[in-house]
Amino acid sequence: QERTISGSVRERGVGDPLIGVNISSNKGAKAITNESGAFRIRVNTGDTLSFTYLGYQLQRVAVTTETTPLTVYLSASSNSLNEVVVTALGVSKARKSLGYAVQEIKSGAVSTAKSTNLVNALSGKVAGVRVTNSQGNMGSSRIVIRGETSISNNNQPLFIVDNVPVDNSQLGAGGSRDYANAISDLNSEDIESISVLKGPTAAALYGSRAAHGVVLIKTKSGRKKEGLGITLNSNNVFDKPLVLPEYQDVFGQGANGQFSYVDGNGGGLNDNVDESWGPKMDGRLIPQFGSNGVPVPFVPHPDNVKDYFETGFLTDNGISIADAADKYNYRVSFNNSHQTGITPNTKLNKRNVSFNTSFKLDPRLTLTTTGNYFITDAPNLPGVGGRRATSTMLQFAWFGRQVDIDKLKESYFSTGSPNNWNNAYYPNLYFGAYENTVQQRRDRITGNVGLKYDINSSLSVNFRSGVDNYNDRRKLRIAYGTSGTPFGSYQETGYKVNENNTELNLNYDRKINSDFTVNALAGANLRNNTYEENDQRAPRLAVANVYTLANSRDPLVSASVLTRRRVYSVYGSAQLGFRDYAFINVTGRNDWSSTLPAEHRSYFYPSVNGTLVWSDLLKIQSNIFSYGKIRAGWAKVGADADPYKLLDNYNFGSPFNGYPVLTTSGTKNNPLLQPEMTTSTELGLEAGFFSGRVRLDLSVYNTRSKNQILEINVTPTAGYNKRVTNIGEIKNKGLEVQLGLTPIKTKAFQWDADINFAANRSRTYDIEPQILGTDGTAQVIAASGRPYGTIVGIGYLRDSNGNIVVGEDGLPQSDPTLKELGHFPPNWIGGINNSFSYKKVSLSFLIDASIGGSLYSGTNSTGDYTGVLRQTLPGRDKEHGGLEYYYPGNDKRNPAMPLNGPAPAGVTVYDDGIIFAGVGENGSPNTQIIAASQYYKSRSSIDEQYVYSASYVKFRELKLGYAFNPSFLKKIGLQNAVVSLVGRNLFIIHKEVPNIDPETAFNTGNGQGLEDLTYPSTRSFGLNLNLKF
Amino acid sequence: CQKELSDINKNPNAAESPQPDYLLTSVIKSAADNYWGSTANYSASQLFIQQWARIQYTDVDRYVFSNASFSSFWATVYANNITDLNTIIDLGEAQGNPNYAGVAHILRAWDFQLLTDAFGDVPYSQAGNIDQYPNPVYDKQQDVYHGILEELDLALTTLTEGSAPISGDAIYKGSIGNWKKFANSLKLRIALRISDREPELSKQIVAQVLASPAGLISNNAENAKVTYEASPNWNPVAAIFSTRQDSRISKTVVDRLYDLNDPRLPVYAELPKDTTKYVGVPNGLTTGDAANLGLSKTSRPGGYFTAAEAPAVILTYAEVLFLRAEAAARGLSNEDAGDFYNKAIAASFNQYGIASQTVINDYLAQSSVKYNPANYKRSIGDQKWIALFGQGLEAFAEWRRLDYPQLQPAAAGVLNGKIPVRFIYPGTEQTLNSKSYQDAVNVQGTDNLLTHLWFDRY
Repeated sequence: QERTISGSVRERGVGDPLIGVNISSNKGAKAITNESGAFRIRVNTGDTLSFTYLGYQLQRVAVTTETTPLTVYLSASSNSLNEVVVTALGVSKARKSLGYAVQEIKSGAVSTAKSTNLVNALSGKVAGVRVTNSQGNMGSSRIVIRGETSISNNNQPLFIVDNVPVDNSQLGAGGSRDYANAISDLNSEDIESISVLKGPTAAALYGSRAAHGVVLIKTKSGRKKEGLGITLNSNNVFDKPLVLPEYQDVFGQGANGQFSYVDGNGGGLNDNVDESWGPKMDGRLIPQFGSNGVPVPFVPHPDNVKDYFETGFLTDNGISIADAADKYNYRVSFNNSHQTGITPNTKLNKRNVSFNTSFKLDPRLTLTTTGNYFITDAPNLPGVGGRRATSTMLQFAWFGRQVDIDKLKESYFSTGSPNNWNNAYYPNLYFGAYENTVQQRRDRITGNVGLKYDINSSLSVNFRSGVDNYNDRRKLRIAYGTSGTPFGSYQETGYKVNENNTELNLNYDRKINSDFTVNALAGANLRNNTYEENDQRAPRLAVANVYTLANSRDPLVSASVLTRRRVYSVYGSAQLGFRDYAFINVTGRNDWSSTLPAEHRSYFYPSVNGTLVWSDLLKIQSNIFSYGKIRAGWAKVGADADPYKLLDNYNFGSPFNGYPVLTTSGTKNNPLLQPEMTTSTELGLEAGFFSGRVRLDLSVYNTRSKNQILEINVTPTAGYNKRVTNIGEIKNKGLEVQLGLTPIKTKAFQWDADINFAANRSRTYDIEPQILGTDGTAQVIAASGRPYGTIVGIGYLRDSNGNIVVGEDGLPQSDPTLKELGHFPPNWIGGINNSFSYKKVSLSFLIDASIGGSLYSGTNSTGDYTGVLRQTLPGRDKEHGGLEYYYPGNDKRNPAMPLNGPAPAGVTVYDDGIIFAGVGENGSPNTQIIAASQYYKSRSSIDEQYVYSASYVKFRELKLGYAFNPSFLKKIGLQNAVVSLVGRNLFIIHKEVPNIDPETAFNTGNGQGLEDLTYPSTRSFGLNLNLKF
Repeated sequence: CQKELSDINKNPNAAESPQPDYLLTSVIKSAADNYWGSTANYSASQLFIQQWARIQYTDVDRYVFSNASFSSFWATVYANNITDLNTIIDLGEAQGNPNYAGVAHILRAWDFQLLTDAFGDVPYSQAGNIDQYPNPVYDKQQDVYHGILEELDLALTTLTEGSAPISGDAIYKGSIGNWKKFANSLKLRIALRISDREPELSKQIVAQVLASPAGLISNNAENAKVTYEASPNWNPVAAIFSTRQDSRISKTVVDRLYDLNDPRLPVYAELPKDTTKYVGVPNGLTTGDAANLGLSKTSRPGGYFTAAEAPAVILTYAEVLFLRAEAAARGLSNEDAGDFYNKAIAASFNQYGIASQTVINDYLAQSSVKYNPANYKRSIGDQKWIALFGQGLEAFAEWRRLDYPQLQPAAAGVLNGKIPVRFIYPGTEQTLNSKSYQDAVNVQGTDNLLTHLWFDRY
């Protein structure tokens, strides 16, 4: 007979009560655990109770006569079928009911071995997710799921934090600093879980921005406290450069073997030359920088680049307080991080206060609020890219090997002057680091307010309004006396980004009979987005050392931009379940966007997916075979345009000769734009073996984006540089495999291995080649019939046999036709995470790989030109294989003659001869000797020479943790204490490109596969301490 | 709701309906910057014809160029200037002021002349009309010059003095009469440009312009030029010298002016810090050889060129006189070649503030200067090259046509002892306009620096 039973739900292994666990009986009764994990529910003997909780495996318990009180332990899920995951619009669903791939990772996976950029923590952990860390550990990172689906628009996923879309732009990319993408504001300490919705099928309900997938982040909420409910967390991490170029230590600065320093600006012998084709560093006496004109031994300083770098340090400390009771739960946290970079005077501070609360105003009415205030405050960020005034690696690509970095340091700190080893091109590096700074401060508020009203046990109504609002201000200083900018400059740039989403939806959830369940949702959303940019620059300062816009010699250069967008949406979804093993889901959404012309403003897109747990259907469970599921889905997602792409625009310029100025924007806009559509189909198989100790999840997918809204490059001869149009198509198809293994599982010891693998192939169609990025003459393009991200550039001119054609002058010839040299997306990516736990000790390490794909390396090209790299040693003198030669009559305009026997009287004999391997125009082997400097300089302009395989295997993450004994801890007032040794990017196991880290990029844009003087990535190691009071 | 969404999408940052006078100022400034700036002028043509030389970053002075080198020059003409000029023509007609259209046609003619002089065959008849011709074909150079001549004739018939005034004119401050003189002078320039190929047509045009009531540029006050202001609207040469020391005056021109006792030397060159003599830098040295010469021991171009307010000179009275001299020498007119040659040199002196008739007469009396009717190409070529100092593109075109002055190739040039005779098409044309590009290369010849252009017959 019917009766009420009570019980509690706890976390298996830990014993902590779990709050908010959903309990339902097969008869439709429902309950939820309270703040101490307790519940009460009405049952009959013989009923089955299901316990579902986000991030934990579903547990079923049969009610027997003596079942009371009941204690149920839930295990943290490890990708099994019964896991409950967050899906679109924050709806939690059992994995078994989903017709698409979704992968979830837990708090510990991103917060223990912490990266200052959250995106990096996803690297190697989720199948099909490709992360590229652009430059250094304070810079930006790019994340792409299942390959690029847009030809030239943003390809990164939509980030949703607690149901609020949050911005992940990288504003101001491409300048002298690699500003971090905006999602890096998030502190991983506050994150409970991250669900990755991989494609349109999973994300169709989010609309246009979800075509590239969604990263759903849920922050931690309040739980019933044990003890004081206070958690302290401290991360302390040291950073070192991971890869620095390998330099030669034989030849010093100069040209034609000559050098002598007077003023570094042409006053001495080649002292304004910043190349390293100078004298041999054999201890001969030459006046040098810092020797005050006195000849001193000309010797290498092999570590002069390495010694500039410092050990970076990150200390990240947080406190959180949480509790829960009948009518409320809350969590409030404060985090403070302070980071110093690997180069002098670089600092990044972050602070955030966050709260997450829930109040039961009435048994049926719940108010939830979340709020975060983030401050990102960087007194100075590292200089990247090719600006001589600020760049780090640019100067090192030309850095004389004899230069004593200590002398530069001493010179700057004693005089404060920019005086340098070379004054024709650069200021002293330390001057640059301390005087030419960029300050960034971002103040950001995100949060939402939600009300949920349960009309009855099946129907509820939700109202939610969320905001993401930030101000990002940057102040760029270039000091007086900086080489190339004698009067300095000062610039202030401000961004204001605001997005507001308000939605109302109805949720219907009911078990119709013993066979059918239905879950339906209908709602409406209003989205408002505003972006403002204000830029003011004093191009030349009036007086030194005063950084204010008023201090200008010239009229200020200013620009301001305001864009607004509004989208109205209605959406609905329905799930029909049959006997808990077959499910069908349909969704539909209609948007009305301000950015499209009135006649195309409204657009609808549907999705449908289904799944069948055939192991349940066929009742074929055994000790060997645990479960099996297949799934299939189809989805369409529409997208609108950017604002103001309909009518042609004319830009204002600075008045000239007293007249105002207006000019074409260079872009042909389009009043007939239509929404773009991405369609995707996906098939999947999930299976478990050996009581779930082997877990397999396979997906294949096919995504097709057609009629994209693009600002395409057009031939300027048509009158515009770009044209807005619906054009082009990208097809992506791919395979993803996740394999979870638990090879050993005993009471004391467990070994888990999670393996993921993903291969994606893309092709672009129906479009003239689009340039995604350039570096010099190397370009990354999307072209019809070619993979997305094809690298093209200048190749060697070759004869029909493939030999390089060399001119009469002995120099290789370049092919006047641009050549395809590779493509940046890898053939496959994958990761293996092994974790071992033995009693209180846990050890885990992650190795990830990106195999295939190409990279153009500007560092190698420039380093060949300048002669600083070790790879420029062969042929530079007799000892390094150089050939002997002379110029007849000592006239360098004559072709060099090889020295066969004694030299003719009076001629100078050189020993740095090289013969370029190739053939003359008549097909016979080239025999013309050229000087080594000519050899390396001539090849430095051939892009083909510098396109390498971008493959790498990295030892990405290491965690060694120890959890102290609770009984011991209780005595000293602690509930829990875990200490971990952590490491990230500890070393590169395999790579093919010399001198740089192949995982590199300028920024988070689509122009990947290009490297040029990028700031070094870092290896980090440190200690994480987590204490619960 | 529909209206509200449309209002949100109204651009608050830019104008959606332009005005012809604002566009005109913009296009004049943009065209002048493009013509006088780095890509086409001081980092290319002025090095080829050895007016300037490099003392740092010497690659361009050694003819190391790629298909990316000239892209910005090309794109500025087409995607900026021609589009703005076409809009001015449309707006002028719509607003009932044909003088805007007339001026715009003259500026179009000039910009296309610069392009075809440098590249050869270029898109012209289908250019700047994206709706109809997304992939414009390349017109033969001959046809481009013919088109330019037609546009100039159209401008001459359209422009009406005293009727509709124009504003925004940063060249002639609205003087329609001067615009007509400029149009006739451009016609004369083109008449000579094609004279080795189409002497009959040249003769007709020369006759036309000499008979035109509108006349030619007839004194230095009527020179077509754009005068710059203080920073940020400063002369591109001033802008670059404010931060960079890569360029010096060429040894070729300094030595030549010393040889001729030319009083323009102190105008063209500046004394180096460390010497009392003007010192030019030889063209096309390697980095090391150039650096050895010393930044403080070599001459920068003179203050006339490096001042913030220095003008970008488009077409001068001196050039008109040289053109008339040559037309006479070629028998295209019945004027006195020697007389115009002398007047041209005097006009050039005047242009640089050298007014003394004695100085001019002494200069002209030198045997090395005297007009030589037996080799008019040499006399005119040598002197025009001096007079065109700073106007790299025009000097480059005239050097190719007249083959004087005789120049030694860059010391460490990479073209097997040759000097470039054209620019390379931008690499983007290979990707974005590939069929038209390929057709053009098939007609004109390999897309490199050494392919001779149609006008450059000898």
